[in-house]
Amino acid sequence: MDGSVTKTVTQPETQGSADNRLGLGVGLRNSHFDHILQAWPEVDWFEAISENFMDSGGRPRWVLDQIKERYPLVLHGVSMSIGSTDPLDMAYLNKLKALADDVNARWVSDHLCWTGIMGLNSHDLLPLMLTEEALAHVAARVRTVQDVLERPLVLENPSSYVQFQKSTISEPDFLAALSEETGCQLLLDVNNVYVTCFNAGTSVDDYMKAFPFEKVVQMHLAGHQHCGTHIVDTHDGPVCDEVWDLFRTAWQKTGGAATLLEWDGDVPEFDRVHAEVLRARAYIDGIEPVPEAATQKRLGTATSTPVDFMVPNVMNDSRMVSQ
Amino acid sequence: MSANTATLPDMQRWMMEALIAPGSVDAPNLDATFKPGAHIDAAACLGIYQRSYILRLRKCLIEQFPATAHALGEDLFCDFADEYLRTCPSDSYTLYELGRRFAAWIDENRPDRDLPVDERERWIDFMIDLASYERALFHLFDAPGHEGRAWPTGDEADDELVLLPSLVLAHSRFPVAWYYHEVRAGKAPGHPPPAQEFLAVARRDFQTSTYPLSPFHYRFLYAVRQHGNIGAALEELAGWSGRPLADVERSWRDDVRQGWIDAGFFVHRDTVG
Repeated sequence: MDGSVTKTVTQPETQGSADNRLGLGVGLRNSHFDHILQAWPEVDWFEAISENFMDSGGRPRWVLDQIKERYPLVLHGVSMSIGSTDPLDMAYLNKLKALADDVNARWVSDHLCWTGIMGLNSHDLLPLMLTEEALAHVAARVRTVQDVLERPLVLENPSSYVQFQKSTISEPDFLAALSEETGCQLLLDVNNVYVTCFNAGTSVDDYMKAFPFEKVVQMHLAGHQHCGTHIVDTHDGPVCDEVWDLFRTAWQKTGGAATLLEWDGDVPEFDRVHAEVLRARAYIDGIEPVPEAATQKRLGTATSTPVDFMVPNVMNDSRMVSQ
Repeated sequence: MSANTATLPDMQRWMMEALIAPGSVDAPNLDATFKPGAHIDAAACLGIYQRSYILRLRKCLIEQFPATAHALGEDLFCDFADEYLRTCPSDSYTLYELGRRFAAWIDENRPDRDLPVDERERWIDFMIDLASYERALFHLFDAPGHEGRAWPTGDEADDELVLLPSLVLAHSRFPVAWYYHEVRAGKAPGHPPPAQEFLAVARRDFQTSTYPLSPFHYRFLYAVRQHGNIGAALEELAGWSGRPLADVERSWRDDVRQGWIDAGFFVHRDTVG
């Protein structure tokens, strides 16, 4: 490999806000806490899962308080359920606002999805029927959320495994309209674009052409599992070449939006996760990418939206004392 | 639900039910609701959500109840978990509440629940007690604690001390704490025979520690919690045990007081919010 050749990428097409260009970040995971506190790795920024910290009175919150002193922090939620037809959970929103203020979150994001109804939570990012009715419904809720949070909400395109017969608006158009109407900003997950388009049999190019890049403050990268007939967004491995290519395009079009790698299933050592996101540099600079580091072979059934990484290893911190 | 006339709430209720009870989905509605995927039909598309729903939450329950999962074996635990998730789907934005009702659910659904207590299966009692203990540990791990505030040294007067608000006092019909920590040590303990176990579980410096107690000490700490006052608890204990109050006070002072303060059972009254 010759890393000094083929410098094909020049300046981004647009200049994103300096406040938004945080660089290359890593999703904060329980299993990495000890390493981060000991090594204080040279990571540009961290993204913390909101729900893991908003009620925490234990070590997780203490760790976050240490990290916020040294790194820019962004909050990323999985339970706002912005698309649900249940009422918004105001207690949840108030806690989210308090957490965002406490940790000086650069922004607060969640997903264009619904997670439950009838007071239940699937803990999944369920797809919205994309219609004018849904747009009006979600827009009204985004405005309420922004009023509570006193900042723009950032919404992410989810991975989808179904398309609704009655949907009348494409996802990029829906997000563009939503952002236009409410002032919300966007988190573009380029892996989710790839997964959704493959599963639906739609064009990635069309999706990217229609996406309102000027509204993007952050991007996500992740690995997935290709099951032949469909792709499952498993967040359990390295980023594939096709997604890196999408990232390269998106980096230019967003003016270098903050970029974060999510690795949630079979989470390896911190350095392995960090090395994966640093591979983005090659795609930014247009040089030959660093070869992907070896990764443990995947085990088990492909599961979308893994969440078990959010459950702390309580057993590890427990002991029995004889008196 | 008729897909042709379904509103947004109708569709969401229908899909939520399709996740929790996958067998209830009717094919005509499904095809009228979802387009087929590029390479799989609409039912298979929905199946990705249905399959992932149960797999991801089952995995979370295994993480929250590792010793119970060990005691039941993976297959049986998964059967329990799947049924629990069907009858008690998550009702919280946080996964930390997913296992809140698990022990009670086992108790309510045990097949021998209509039999007299002494004729019931003991292993089910063990599972209920073990799951209760694991839930208490899990909750304590992230509960509001006393870290960052001053701890008593032992020089304080008794009436300056109160129980650590998050201190867990537990009573079990089996040695569940022993079993749990055997699993933690990587051993493969068998189901233990019944044995009354009284426990205090405290968190200090983010370390969760379980202390076996005598029934006498358990009752004392329980009384401190009820009365909010050590003196009143000592008096109650003297009355209950028939021992002179001076003996009980001496035992408290000489045998356990400093050790329990060091363990973090007590905090200054004025540091509790």
